Amino acid sequence: MIYEICNFLFPLSDIFSFCRLVNYISFRAIMSAFTAVLFIFLFSRRFILFVHRNCFLDQVRETGVHSAFDKRGTPTMGGLLIIGAVLVSMVLWGNWQNAFMLCSLAGMLWFGLLGLWDDLSKVRMKSGDKGLSERLKLILQGVFSLIFAWICVGPYAPLGSAMATKICIPFYKYPLVDIGPYFYGLFIFLFVIFISNAVNITDGLDGLAITPSIFVVAVLGIFAYVEGNRIYSSYLYYPFLRGAGELTIFGAAFVGAGLGFLWYNAYPAQIFMGDTGSLAIGGTMAVICVLLKQELLFPLLGGLFVAEAITSQVQDKIGVKWIGRRIFYRAPLHHNLQHKGIAETKVVIRLWIVAGLLALLSLATLKLR
Amino acid sequence: MVSAGADFLNRNENKNVQTALIITGVLFLVFITGLLAAKRWRGIGGGHTRIVLSGGGTGGHVNPALAIAEAIRGRDPEARFLYIGVRNRAESIIVKRAGYSLRFVASEGFPGFRISFRLLRFLFVVSIGVAQSIIMLCLFAPKRVIATGGYVSAPVIAAALILKKLRIASVQIFLHEQNSIPGQLNALMGRWVDKVLLTFPQTLSFFPKNGAVVGYPIRHSIVPIPPEKARENLQFKIPPDRSVVFAFGGSQGARSINRAVVDALPFLLQHRDRLFLIHGIGLASMSEYDAEADTEARIEKTLSAEEKQLLDGFYYRQDYFHNIAEVYSVCTLVACRSGAGSLNEISRIGKPALLIPKANLPGDHQVMNARAMKSAGAAELLYEDTIMEEGQILEKLDGRVLAEKIILLLDNAERLKSMSESSRHFLKRRASERILNELYGETRFSDSDNNSTPFKELTSNSGLLQTLSAAYNSMGRQFDPLSVVGDPDDLDYYRHRAAGLLSHKGWEDRNLGVKLIGLTRYTEKIPTLLKMLADRTPVNRASKLFGGDYQQVGFIRRNIVQALRVLDYFDPEVERGLFAALSDGYFEVRAQACITAAHFGRFIESDSKWLDALMNRMADPCFEVVIEAAKAVGEVGVDEEAAGALLAIKEAHYWQVRNAALHGLKRMIDRGALEASPALLAEVSAFILTSTDFKPHFTIKETFTVLQDRCAASRSKNYDLRLPAGKAAGKLK
Repeated sequence: MIYEICNFLFPLSDIFSFCRLVNYISFRAIMSAFTAVLFIFLFSRRFILFVHRNCFLDQVRETGVHSAFDKRGTPTMGGLLIIGAVLVSMVLWGNWQNAFMLCSLAGMLWFGLLGLWDDLSKVRMKSGDKGLSERLKLILQGVFSLIFAWICVGPYAPLGSAMATKICIPFYKYPLVDIGPYFYGLFIFLFVIFISNAVNITDGLDGLAITPSIFVVAVLGIFAYVEGNRIYSSYLYYPFLRGAGELTIFGAAFVGAGLGFLWYNAYPAQIFMGDTGSLAIGGTMAVICVLLKQELLFPLLGGLFVAEAITSQVQDKIGVKWIGRRIFYRAPLHHNLQHKGIAETKVVIRLWIVAGLLALLSLATLKLR
Repeated sequence: MVSAGADFLNRNENKNVQTALIITGVLFLVFITGLLAAKRWRGIGGGHTRIVLSGGGTGGHVNPALAIAEAIRGRDPEARFLYIGVRNRAESIIVKRAGYSLRFVASEGFPGFRISFRLLRFLFVVSIGVAQSIIMLCLFAPKRVIATGGYVSAPVIAAALILKKLRIASVQIFLHEQNSIPGQLNALMGRWVDKVLLTFPQTLSFFPKNGAVVGYPIRHSIVPIPPEKARENLQFKIPPDRSVVFAFGGSQGARSINRAVVDALPFLLQHRDRLFLIHGIGLASMSEYDAEADTEARIEKTLSAEEKQLLDGFYYRQDYFHNIAEVYSVCTLVACRSGAGSLNEISRIGKPALLIPKANLPGDHQVMNARAMKSAGAAELLYEDTIMEEGQILEKLDGRVLAEKIILLLDNAERLKSMSESSRHFLKRRASERILNELYGETRFSDSDNNSTPFKELTSNSGLLQTLSAAYNSMGRQFDPLSVVGDPDDLDYYRHRAAGLLSHKGWEDRNLGVKLIGLTRYTEKIPTLLKMLADRTPVNRASKLFGGDYQQVGFIRRNIVQALRVLDYFDPEVERGLFAALSDGYFEVRAQACITAAHFGRFIESDSKWLDALMNRMADPCFEVVIEAAKAVGEVGVDEEAAGALLAIKEAHYWQVRNAALHGLKRMIDRGALEASPALLAEVSAFILTSTDFKPHFTIKETFTVLQDRCAASRSKNYDLRLPAGKAAGKLK
């Protein structure tokens, strides 16, 4: 909104010349981040109280790890705060004609609503293990992924038809490879589903999901800035994506919201993000990755999420359900570390460090190839 | 080119017209036939009542149909009957003998909804059966169709329903359900028939709209006969002053009962001066089980030549007794299946029963029936095992157990007398009258005497596991499954059911069985568990690729070791099994073996073999095993060597390992195996005491817990198998 108003104002008179600032991505990015943080600081206490009064509290679940105390009764659905902060920030500072931004926002909202439904049904069933059925969840995730994959490779691709079906390979000098619309579409479809669930699985300890997500989105924001800038992108041999810079602003809003959320979510947590938050974050990250052509970087950039998802699935689907033995002591990864006698806080901080290092390494691919 | 195309089109069109004409013609013919049939149907209405009976497969379905026919004949002697059944099943013998006209249709058992070749064959066979039934019904034009279940009646009911919906037949369709849990086809068809006649009031919930409780109709011939007269009528002679035991497994015969009776013969022969055994082996003559041949072969195999000589004048067998009332009347004790039919007949004659419910039936309905009769004081129960034999899942009953139970009962004349008395009053009569009421839409007497006591429900395997493991976790060593389950007979049944799971193909079922055997303390199955634990049959290549090892998967082996602890039974066999488990390939098995060794610490205390093995485990690559091994050494160790081993891991990486070592040392001091001295303190002080874990205190939650406990102080823990935890709590409110 502010973006539109200022763009309308500054040609009118010299008095409004400061309004020119909104044309700088860096300015809008910083402002949107602050807006998001401010939003969370203003509303989270009221929100926590609201959630508590309506008994939208975390339910018992079976993790297999003996926790010092159970976390039952902590207000959940904090993801609504994150979504709200990003939304308000984008309403104020976003350019609503930008397809990149709209796609990311749509992803966030779709997955957020799906997670909200799951959270609400968990509260209604009074159990942390019985929300929406796994199948229904997958179908709803699949619906979005399918539409999104079609948008990406179809006639309305935000990247333009020349770039639409190309994939970018990290650490490689001439990174763009065309793999055809069907194969790439299928890849996007699976990628989005996988990432959104990976974050959902990671969200098991206080602050564990949010900080690595901040790292990931921040790095992606920097990539967006580079790829959206004709000079930087040509300097760094990156594909130039017109309008991708808007994702920097989106990413900044997200980082701001994440920091604000961490304020309350840090151990011991006063609020959980719930599936509302984890699915929304996962969906957003997946969509941004696809839009910036950084899908193949994700296993490195979001290595923590990938490791969590793989350990969990291998343990459950192969170990417990099929061959009848544990493959890891416990799964996912963070429960395994807890089982080895590492306190929750220590596990979380160690995994933050790992996620931070991975993010730095991924950032290095800007130059390293 | 063009003309050829047009020609082709033309020909195609001609073909279409032809097809349409043929279809119209067939439809017209069908319509006319239908009209004629409908007219004929109504026209016949004036004459005698025409009734189609159907149902069969086993005597349990045939006999009630015949009983209903007898009841109708009693009221309306002119009624004409047609019995529709399947060739070569029980009805082909019983119905023919009873003198009703009998026709056969094709039918087959329902294989379940899963798409399979059998389902396709079933659909094909049943559609043929339906077509045959439609023709038969049209020719006979009955006013009423009465089906007594079994897959035989499925095509007949389907045909009657089709004719009725097409308004060709003005026919009333009745279904009689003998079991407390209706069969799949009855449950499906029951929705559309006019009335479902039920044996048990519990079944009403399946047919809330058109169900009516009538009981189980018994044939007129089943009445008590004076024993002297009955003895004369029998085609075999029973020596005087003998207690007569009649053992049979229903009209088709039951493999497990037949084999158990033969196995019991050597034991019963010792009592041949006061015992006579009548054995009804059943009519089954299918490829999977031929009662006659199987029994013959088993006698040949089990008995020695001289024992076979003694059988004369002690043992008599026959495939089916058409004069079963006489057999019932002469006997002292009946040993049989607990199907509704047998129970009703026994109750009518008033005989004590030794019931062997068939295992693995939907809803355990035979078990339910048997429990009801037992709680009325009219029966004793024996449960059969489910075992794997020659790659086949079989029910099995131990002949020796059967023989012992029979002798025990026969020795107690007083008890037999009271059982007969209870048996006579066990079930309500007048089922035939009630059925006539329903058939002719009259109400001659009120339903006031319809108050049979509801059965206590059985718990599912998973529900049982939940209840028992909750009890075990809260009671520890004082745990007693009987106090949780309540009824020793129920516990016995649960044990047999759990043991049956052990021979299942899916490892999840076997795993559940292992857990339940532990928690129900089924000590007799320990050898089976140990055999499974040592079983080294490999898995297929695909699961091996992902780390699978043996058919008895890691979880099963782990739970067996755990079950041995829960069973709390120690002998050299268990010790050998446990010792082998210490070096199992799967870490959880090794860890559990250490825990169980610590549990049985008092038995293996000074055994250096165990101590060495446990100390070896303390070098295990898996820290979980090291922890449990260190604790176990604390329970088993008696000398400096053990203490030294524990002190040696003072710098272990995992704090839990160091903690376990300290714990072990403490236990050694508690047990007096180690002296608490300043020297020891000096050594213990060298332990690394930093830890990567801690327990947080949430002061507000603790305060809340104190308050919560105050408020709930009056609430006591009780385990009620019938109520889930939530409901029980609600009741206490």
